[in-house]
Amino acid sequence: MKKISTNENLVRIAQLSCGAEYSGIQGEIDSAVKQVHAVMVYPEVDIEDIENIEEEFGLKVASADLKLMMARAKSIVAGKVQVDAVFVATCFRCAEAAIVRSEIRRYLNEKTGIPVISYSFTERTTAGTLLTRMEALTTTARRKSLLAREKQSGLTAGIDSGSTTTKAIIMRDDKIIGKGWVPTIKVLESAEEAFNNALKEAGVGREDIQAIGTTGYGRFLLGEHFKADLIQEEITVNSKGAVYLAGTQKGSATVLDIGGMDNKAISVQDGIPGMFTMGGICAGASGRFLEMTAKRLGVKIEELGKLALSGNYQNVKMNSYCIVFGIQSLVNSLAAGSTPEDVAAAACHSVAEQLFEQQLQEIDVKEPVLMVGGTSLIEGLPKAVSELLKVKVIVPENAQYIGAVGAALLASGFISK
Amino acid sequence: MESITKMLVINSRDVLPSDIVIKLYESNADISIKETCFGVMVTGERKIVDEVLTKIRKMDPYGIFIKERGLAPGEKFRCRATRRGGARPGFHNLESEDKILPHIGSALRALDRGEIPELKKKIKKLDVDILKEIIKQELEAQS
Amino acid sequence: MKVFIYPTNSLILSDLVERFGHEPLALMAVIGKKIRTKGLDSPPINVTPEDPKLGLKYAAVEVPSGVRGRMSLFDSLLTDAEAAVIVRDPVISFGCMGCARTNELVNFLIRAKKIPLLEVDYPENEDNAKEFVYKISEFLKSLKPAEDKK
Repeated sequence: MKKISTNENLVRIAQLSCGAEYSGIQGEIDSAVKQVHAVMVYPEVDIEDIENIEEEFGLKVASADLKLMMARAKSIVAGKVQVDAVFVATCFRCAEAAIVRSEIRRYLNEKTGIPVISYSFTERTTAGTLLTRMEALTTTARRKSLLAREKQSGLTAGIDSGSTTTKAIIMRDDKIIGKGWVPTIKVLESAEEAFNNALKEAGVGREDIQAIGTTGYGRFLLGEHFKADLIQEEITVNSKGAVYLAGTQKGSATVLDIGGMDNKAISVQDGIPGMFTMGGICAGASGRFLEMTAKRLGVKIEELGKLALSGNYQNVKMNSYCIVFGIQSLVNSLAAGSTPEDVAAAACHSVAEQLFEQQLQEIDVKEPVLMVGGTSLIEGLPKAVSELLKVKVIVPENAQYIGAVGAALLASGFISK
Repeated sequence: MESITKMLVINSRDVLPSDIVIKLYESNADISIKETCFGVMVTGERKIVDEVLTKIRKMDPYGIFIKERGLAPGEKFRCRATRRGGARPGFHNLESEDKILPHIGSALRALDRGEIPELKKKIKKLDVDILKEIIKQELEAQS
Repeated sequence: MKVFIYPTNSLILSDLVERFGHEPLALMAVIGKKIRTKGLDSPPINVTPEDPKLGLKYAAVEVPSGVRGRMSLFDSLLTDAEAAVIVRDPVISFGCMGCARTNELVNFLIRAKKIPLLEVDYPENEDNAKEFVYKISEFLKSLKPAEDKK
């Protein structure tokens, strides 16, 4: 991965944490921070601040290090320390800490404009895992005015190089005028094809484009190739893209993106990511599971969603979420006489449950819940997620182009006036 | 031999950290000494440090308190100066314990005088039936 | 005797135990040893991701890594303890003692060890402090010094 240039401003991140040193991962945190040209700082507090914090904060906890975290958050709010961003981290599976983490994030959001990322770690957390988070956090700190942008202006392009598909979008004056969507085969060639398709539909030439933004796995390669103005990780871009497309830019929102090979759950505040989980922990929670189901049912992936809508998942017994054993369960049900509709519904339900198990553990589900990415078009899936989470799930128009739209929107901030 | 660090926290009317530092230098022991805002830190072989500090404690047994410290003085990963900002967690411990050192000092003094303090009984939570009765009486008194 | 103290990084308890002729089992010594013996390759206190795994002896994977990492530090103290002084409702202390779940588990394991144990309340004023110091001194005096042990 390309390193953040040391020409960028040094970002001062306040570390509010409990347990990192005792999990043996402080070195990993420091290493990730160094790679994004930032430093950790520890807000100054004195013992009276800590003794009084529970009364002032209104949250009583048993662990002293959590009180220290709250006191440090207050020190930031009181302006005793100048920081550009805040990293709030505690041990995974600690309920007391999860409540404190979430309240500190809300408190800092309400009282300051400082970006906050919240994370829960285990001893297996590495600098690599933390890097995307630190990249998102420092970007938010460095590019605050860019991220505040709510409208696209001029003529811009966004290209999202995903693991399964590559998407391109052309926007002019806050409207989408061209789209391209191709399977990712070779990163550059697929991007060229998607971009050309979008340009053709928009009826504009490449030389007319005023600014380009790239995102997704291949963002650095594409960024260099297209001489992009903005090269940005997908957490920031997708958050922005999702609330933009759904027209819910202010306040809190939850963005769920089940990708071809990995997925993301992002807790968003005013279009800026706060807490998120990402990664391909399990193929059973990915679009690939639905692709394989469609193949087994002999239908196109585009047809699977509609099929699922008229099925009932409860008619199919699934013994596993696993992409191997779970699919086997579906095949067995078909053999035992289940209808393709029920099997399609069961597959969607299985992916939704696995999303719940694997990705939503650390995310508060605040409405509106926005589902984006290609899989959100498989109608049975948002329905299954909605049933499971007991919330209304919104799939904005053009949800499959989320990253490209976000990139085109943000890139317009680079057009010189 | 491995080197350890002990910290002396001083809460004394008669002895200043600088007095202790002078005394430590006079001992000619193979130790290194650092004066701090709360007292003194002494680093050296455990046996030597313990021997020296037993003598130092006598300068004011009610005002000098000693504990071992995990980190050596000025350790850059923990030091406020090199760590950008707030104190290491242990400093807050010290801050909070420091508050009652005068009481501990006078308690030690009383102990040496042979005083036996009156042992307080633990106050139990009020029995719920008694509380009910009190509420009833209060309400009746008000009406 | 080797006396376990809780809070185990307490200046006052460590001082009193030493003053009355016993060896305080304090976490500071464990951390000091950890830092000195391995060279500082996992700053700041040289706890590495391996340590929470050593803590599995006390708590399963479902228990947070910070608890297990702290438990691995407590391991030798819990093994070596011959007597213990536990302060109830102590003044807040941080870092290695900053996690309430760890502290609950440590206190339980000490009680379960069935060694001579004193539990005292944390003093708030001079009178309480007299009682606190008196009880601790009486308890420590009642323990046999290390050389008298049979």
